[in-house]
Amino acid sequence: MRRRAGIGGLQNAAAARDQYRLLGENVARLRTDLMKEQLSTFRSQLEDFARKHKNDIRKNPAFRSQFHEMCAKVGVDPLASNKGFWAELLGIGDFYYELGVQIVDVCLATRPHNGGLINLEELCKLLSQRRKGAREVVSEDDCLRAIGKLKVLGSGFEVITVGKRKLVRSVPTELKKDHNEILELSQAQGFVTVEEVERRLSWSSGRATDALETLLDEGLAMIDEGHRDGKRRYWFPCVSSVSSFVASETL
Amino acid sequence: MQKLGELKLPPFFNYPPYFTLQPVRETREKQIQLWKELILDYCRTQKIFVVGLEEDFPLFSNPAIERSLNHEARVAFLSAIVSDGRAEWMDKGHRRCLILWHRIQDWADIILRFVKENGLEDSVMTVEEMRSGIESRGTDVHGMDRTVLMRALKLLENKGKLAIFKGTSTDDEGVKFSV
Repeated sequence: MRRRAGIGGLQNAAAARDQYRLLGENVARLRTDLMKEQLSTFRSQLEDFARKHKNDIRKNPAFRSQFHEMCAKVGVDPLASNKGFWAELLGIGDFYYELGVQIVDVCLATRPHNGGLINLEELCKLLSQRRKGAREVVSEDDCLRAIGKLKVLGSGFEVITVGKRKLVRSVPTELKKDHNEILELSQAQGFVTVEEVERRLSWSSGRATDALETLLDEGLAMIDEGHRDGKRRYWFPCVSSVSSFVASETL
Repeated sequence: MQKLGELKLPPFFNYPPYFTLQPVRETREKQIQLWKELILDYCRTQKIFVVGLEEDFPLFSNPAIERSLNHEARVAFLSAIVSDGRAEWMDKGHRRCLILWHRIQDWADIILRFVKENGLEDSVMTVEEMRSGIESRGTDVHGMDRTVLMRALKLLENKGKLAIFKGTSTDDEGVKFSV
């Protein structure tokens, strides 16, 4: 089409653009409204569901975890506030609030032994020991959720993944990549030697020693000079199950 | 779980690094705390009063994990108990350590209880009788270390609860209670 010259042509083009935009906005609004409607239906159904399965949600950790997943998909966070419908209905806010406090307790109590880094599995075990009286079972998923809420406090609680394991960190130390790799390596036997680190990770001797000394200073490692071969072993209580035993005595 | 006599051994006893004195202060403090408790518990259940640093004290090694405490670690753990007032070095070279799982004051109370329960309030006994006689059998006084017993008796003597005197026929000392 031949381009129309002059001011009239420009005005026409601008008007057309406005029209298109209006139309687009209308379509978008319609879609959003529809979506909102669907969501609110879903939400009310979710509430019905929660009401119906209240006891399952409270007592069955697997069920609870799935329920949380469903909630997340529709933008409902039952943990967001202690007030309101969800908390009243399920008392779920209190549950995680209490769990969070217990997690802080356990982390503090075991810190002298593990340097503030604890296996998620261990943490769960210790929590169940503590909560023997309570009827609800605590799963790893519950712990992760409770820790997620603790993060808001800025207290430096964080879950890190090392190898196949999840570790909960309650000290502000940032673990560097080197340290993570050593922790991962130590999971096989519970300890490593300088030589092993050098060989398995192809590091220079200085790099291995530096990283191990840092882990030692942070209280995350313990040395063992007692083996027959005379080589110093660095043990990591946070990857061994012994931490639960030592800790349970002090709890 | 492993057992030593009647004592259930704590799990840290099977974790090798606990047998090496830790270089980092905080870790070492925790380590020392655990060992202190273990040594005192063990001595209490086994009625052990003297620990020789160069002797085969069962807690100083764990054959199951092939670890044993070196001299430095032994001295460190026992010194910590000494500074808590629950033990005393018996020589300058720190080779032998007297373990007071009951403090002398507590021992004195135990003796008084023993005297009252057996109606010995105005009686005379020899020190040896107290340690190995029929009356004390089944009480904490039975088999008490002589040094500890004498110290507790002296404390009671100072409080006027008894008088210690030298026997005429034997070498043994006698005790006249006046509770």
